Amino acid sequence: MSKFWILVKQLYKQKIKAKSFIFSILLYLVVISCVMFWSDIKEALFSEEPLKVAVLNDTDADFKALFTSSADVEFSFPKENESKVEKKVKDGDLDAAIFIQDKAGSLVAEIATFNPLKFNDQQSLSSSIQYAGKLYEVQQLNLTAEQADKILQSETMITTKNLNKEAAGGKSEDEKSAGIGASMIVGFIIYGFVMSFLSMITTDVASEKGSRVLEVLLASIKPVTHFLAKLTGTFLLAVTQIVILFAVQSLLFILVDGGEKWDTVIEVINSLSAGYVAYVLAFLILTILLFLIMGALLGSLVSKVEESGQAMMPAMMVGVGGFYVLLSGMYSPDTILVKVCSYIPFTSGMVMPLRIGATDIAASEPMISLGILIVTVVLLFMLSLSFYKRSVLTYSTGGIIQKIKTVLKVTT
Amino acid sequence: MALVIQEVTKRYQNFVAVDNLSFTIEKGEIFGLIGQNGAGKTTTFRMILDLQETTAGTISWNGESIHAIDRDLLGYLPEERGIFPTMTVEDQLYFFGELRGRKKKELKEDVNYWIERFELEEKRKAKAETLSKGNQQKVQLIASFIHKPEFLILDEPFSGLDPVNKDLLKEAILFLKENGTTILFSSHQMENVEELCDHLCLLKRGVSLFSGSLLDLKKQYGKTKLTVRTDMAIEELTALPGVKDVTIGKEQYTLTLEDESYAKGIFDIVSKGDYIEKFSLDYLSLDEIFKDKVGGGNV
Repeated sequence: MSKFWILVKQLYKQKIKAKSFIFSILLYLVVISCVMFWSDIKEALFSEEPLKVAVLNDTDADFKALFTSSADVEFSFPKENESKVEKKVKDGDLDAAIFIQDKAGSLVAEIATFNPLKFNDQQSLSSSIQYAGKLYEVQQLNLTAEQADKILQSETMITTKNLNKEAAGGKSEDEKSAGIGASMIVGFIIYGFVMSFLSMITTDVASEKGSRVLEVLLASIKPVTHFLAKLTGTFLLAVTQIVILFAVQSLLFILVDGGEKWDTVIEVINSLSAGYVAYVLAFLILTILLFLIMGALLGSLVSKVEESGQAMMPAMMVGVGGFYVLLSGMYSPDTILVKVCSYIPFTSGMVMPLRIGATDIAASEPMISLGILIVTVVLLFMLSLSFYKRSVLTYSTGGIIQKIKTVLKVTT
Repeated sequence: MALVIQEVTKRYQNFVAVDNLSFTIEKGEIFGLIGQNGAGKTTTFRMILDLQETTAGTISWNGESIHAIDRDLLGYLPEERGIFPTMTVEDQLYFFGELRGRKKKELKEDVNYWIERFELEEKRKAKAETLSKGNQQKVQLIASFIHKPEFLILDEPFSGLDPVNKDLLKEAILFLKENGTTILFSSHQMENVEELCDHLCLLKRGVSLFSGSLLDLKKQYGKTKLTVRTDMAIEELTALPGVKDVTIGKEQYTLTLEDESYAKGIFDIVSKGDYIEKFSLDYLSLDEIFKDKVGGGNV
């Protein structure tokens, strides 16, 4: 076995057995499972009593069809008078009472509660009442049932047509929101991986340098070999984690609920284009590489392992910045900020998938962004390699800038 | 000649770490590099190990440039101790052995031998970070030569070891020498250098003050240290011909002579032709020579 692989093996074996590695896989599994199985979890843990609402209708119209009970709300239509119902609300037998009356041909309603309603419940009651109001107005016009129905059910068909032939075929709103959803998951995964493996490689290099093992190692291997072994080892760990994560998660989806969630996942994957998946993979791999190179370089600057947190701060900030841009893009993926960040190599991995999935962009844009990312990875790699040779044996104090200055000073 | 260092200089932007240094080490000998902190010992080692470039001069091993040789010929124990904190003692030794080109099977016998010799049997499966400082140092020392290097560099191998472990280490170094290993080591504990070294180089701020055999160095000063036990007063002794300095020790005086030729005359005066308990003329110890050379004359 060459020295390179001996180093890779040592790093891989050591880290894969580490508690933090196993723990982080478990953490990811828990987070993803919580999201996917939220409805089941909610049911199991927070099986709330449905909201009890009484509807007192003073008009001639029949609204029973509108106020249908569900798992969340249970409607009743008591024949009792207002004060009795109000007493029930006060006693807690009812959560709310809706009093509907006619006022000059229009519907007016009053919601009586003792404990204020939750925002969601309030909203859903309001919209039911609004709809009832519209129905009431229409009924006043003495239209036929079909006519009334047509007005109430009317919905304008909207299709999009892009006259720019170069732009990708316009996406429908549904496609765009699916794209946002998928990109959020992708962005979260990239962010999570980048942060954890950045920290792993920085700490690893820093601890070897801090414990002076590096000096012994470098007496028998070239710094280049060490640098490459660190990158390869950590990268293989990242790949291992991704594979384990996907395998276990898929298994979980297939086994739980008779594969119901698995069908959902397949459906989502089918709705994504092959190009999108290819871009996401390319951005994922390159972004991880980019941050690993930065991590190794920053780790080589510190004098002891305690300083590695401080050293990786700049890379962390950039990563967090990218993630926030991604979050801001959730509601409006077309802003200038998102566009600019989709080209910056350190953030493009998180932001560009969002633009590809959720906006109509020309095919050339992701390609250019990917090109910039590749060039940056190559340049940073070369730069780091030459700098690494000089920084791994230089011990200095002060901030990052000061350390870089010292390295340059004592090695030139 | 195994290692030849020829007019080697290492210059940084604003200071010279090693200045025009030359020395040679014969195959199979133990060579000591001595100097104060910052004298340039570690820089010299790093240049030999090709961890740092030389600004000028050449370093060769068996006639071949140090840049071109197989790195597995070398073994290195750095001054600042470094081992993998979470790796077990045994794994650590296998790792360094394999990294330097030996197969795990071949290593087994040596690993067992050295673990036993350095009394680490109980710690075999212990993580390095749980060991005492002395034990960590022993592990690292074994790691530095487990691959049987031809040339072993030990930077301050004795610092931090208790007397028992120091003896273990000395025996190990002599054992390696007997097996043909060339050893270069630095120390500022002169008694170790004196016991082990055949040749040495004295460094002061990057400049070599002396390079050659220990005996030659001592001969340079001659036998000028005279220890006597006498009833004479210090003033009387100081007034004797050829005496540069007198210090009072435990029931004895130590006289520094201008040169050894005065000794006989002093013996006659001090003994007065009678029995005398102690009159001993010696070479200066390496420690004293070192202080004289480096400190600029204050022995």
